Amino acid sequence: MAIALRAVFIVLGAGVVVQALVVVQARPQDLVSGFYGMVDIVRRSMPPDFSVLPDAARPALETIDIGLFGTVMGVILAVPLSVLAAANVTPSRWLYYLSRAIIGFTRAVPDLVWALLFVTAVGLGPFPGGLALAVHSVGMLGRLFAETIENMDMAPIDALSLTGASRLQVFTHGVVPSVLPALAGIGLYRLDENIRSSLVLGFVGAGGIGFQLLTAMNLFQYRQVSLLLIVVFIIVFAAERLSAICRERLA
Amino acid sequence: MSDAGLAEPAPEQRLPDERPPDEKRPGVRLSIRGISLRYPNGVQALSGVDLDVRAGELLIVLGGNGCGKTTLLRCITRALAPTTGQVWLGATDLTSLDGRQLRRARQVLAMIGQHAALVRRRSVIANVACGALARHKTIWTKLGGLPPSELPGALGCLGQVGLADLAGRRAGNLSGGQAQRVAIARALLQHPLVLLADEPVASLDPEAANEIMRLLRRLAHDQGLAVLCVLHQVELAFAYADRVVGMRNGRVVFDRQRAEVAMDDVQRLYTARAA
Repeated sequence: MAIALRAVFIVLGAGVVVQALVVVQARPQDLVSGFYGMVDIVRRSMPPDFSVLPDAARPALETIDIGLFGTVMGVILAVPLSVLAAANVTPSRWLYYLSRAIIGFTRAVPDLVWALLFVTAVGLGPFPGGLALAVHSVGMLGRLFAETIENMDMAPIDALSLTGASRLQVFTHGVVPSVLPALAGIGLYRLDENIRSSLVLGFVGAGGIGFQLLTAMNLFQYRQVSLLLIVVFIIVFAAERLSAICRERLA
Repeated sequence: MSDAGLAEPAPEQRLPDERPPDEKRPGVRLSIRGISLRYPNGVQALSGVDLDVRAGELLIVLGGNGCGKTTLLRCITRALAPTTGQVWLGATDLTSLDGRQLRRARQVLAMIGQHAALVRRRSVIANVACGALARHKTIWTKLGGLPPSELPGALGCLGQVGLADLAGRRAGNLSGGQAQRVAIARALLQHPLVLLADEPVASLDPEAANEIMRLLRRLAHDQGLAVLCVLHQVELAFAYADRVVGMRNGRVVFDRQRAEVAMDDVQRLYTARAA
């Protein structure tokens, strides 16, 4: 019976994968026939045009700062929300459901859509980009923070409660030191992701190096595109390494 | 509603004082009267438990799994609300308290469990100092600061358990026995009238277990604490208890001085359950 059930699940799983291939219109033969087109673009991208490097410096810094702004604001907003959204420490069932709803909504809307909304509201530039990342981060961080709080060891919390300490004292002396390293690690990982996301937000006018990249692509300036991609790679790699080092030290 | 400040409490809210000793029950710190607990699913966990815990005495409760030992402790601390009965801590009935009044009463009712339940990422001295938070409900402590006036006392409590040299160490780096001693130090900083211990040596090796039991006995005999300890290890009960209480099926089966307890009495607690 168990074997038959397992076979059914395998067949169903394979069916799901096949239908995905059909819907995506996966055509490996197109990849083969288009190979020479890709080679042509790569050829036209070489060598990278280093003359635009000085012009790329400020947008690159802007990209990092948009990611940093979005992460910091996201953390500041997500922390209190996550406390309300953690079943083991929430002060009220209504606040629990409300905070979960806010987290779910901000997570569900992609950061690109938030960027479009904020560009419409406040205009072009890095500010709408930062706002978009902040709002989206509230959802992503809020959920992870809440799960971290829910999964923590409650024994020290219960022990502190039994000493007669107030609820706020139990929170600041028990909950906060227990989860802070994990929350900091999640925040650092989010910073890494936000910097990568901010690269794309420039495509909708929300600042950073993305706008420069889009312009170069639209003008077929492939050598500039390759230089900008090198800059992007350096930014992403550096952010990832720095985040990993900080998280290792926190652990 | 704020807990900030230390305004003079109303008479009914003052911390429990020790009852005046009477001839029948001299020095009784904790008095349990007719405690019963019936769970919503109908299981009767405790039935009419009567028990006195006296100052300067180490009372050990024995009994098989599910006999109600831990449930009794949870009813005393009001982690569980008993169905009927009263728990008197001095002149205060704990079963009638809630919220802030219950938190105030808990200040002098210290408890340690199977595991030390320390905040692992904080230092040993910070964990101990948390035992005094209830006496310092100030903005500073509510924001996570330790009460500075309690740090010397915290160090003193660590000295009493022989761990003053580990004050600066992270709690997560302690052995099981060391962590349990830190938990006792935290309990001592509460300046308790009663110390409850729920299987405090369950996860310790024999040497560490004996250390903890010696410490509990010393706290009872030398400092006059009333100590109520739940144990599984019968040999430890016979080695350290002043008084032994046997429980079975949620009831007290016997309550005698250690010298009056026979091994047969204890074995009946466990074998009768299996029969």
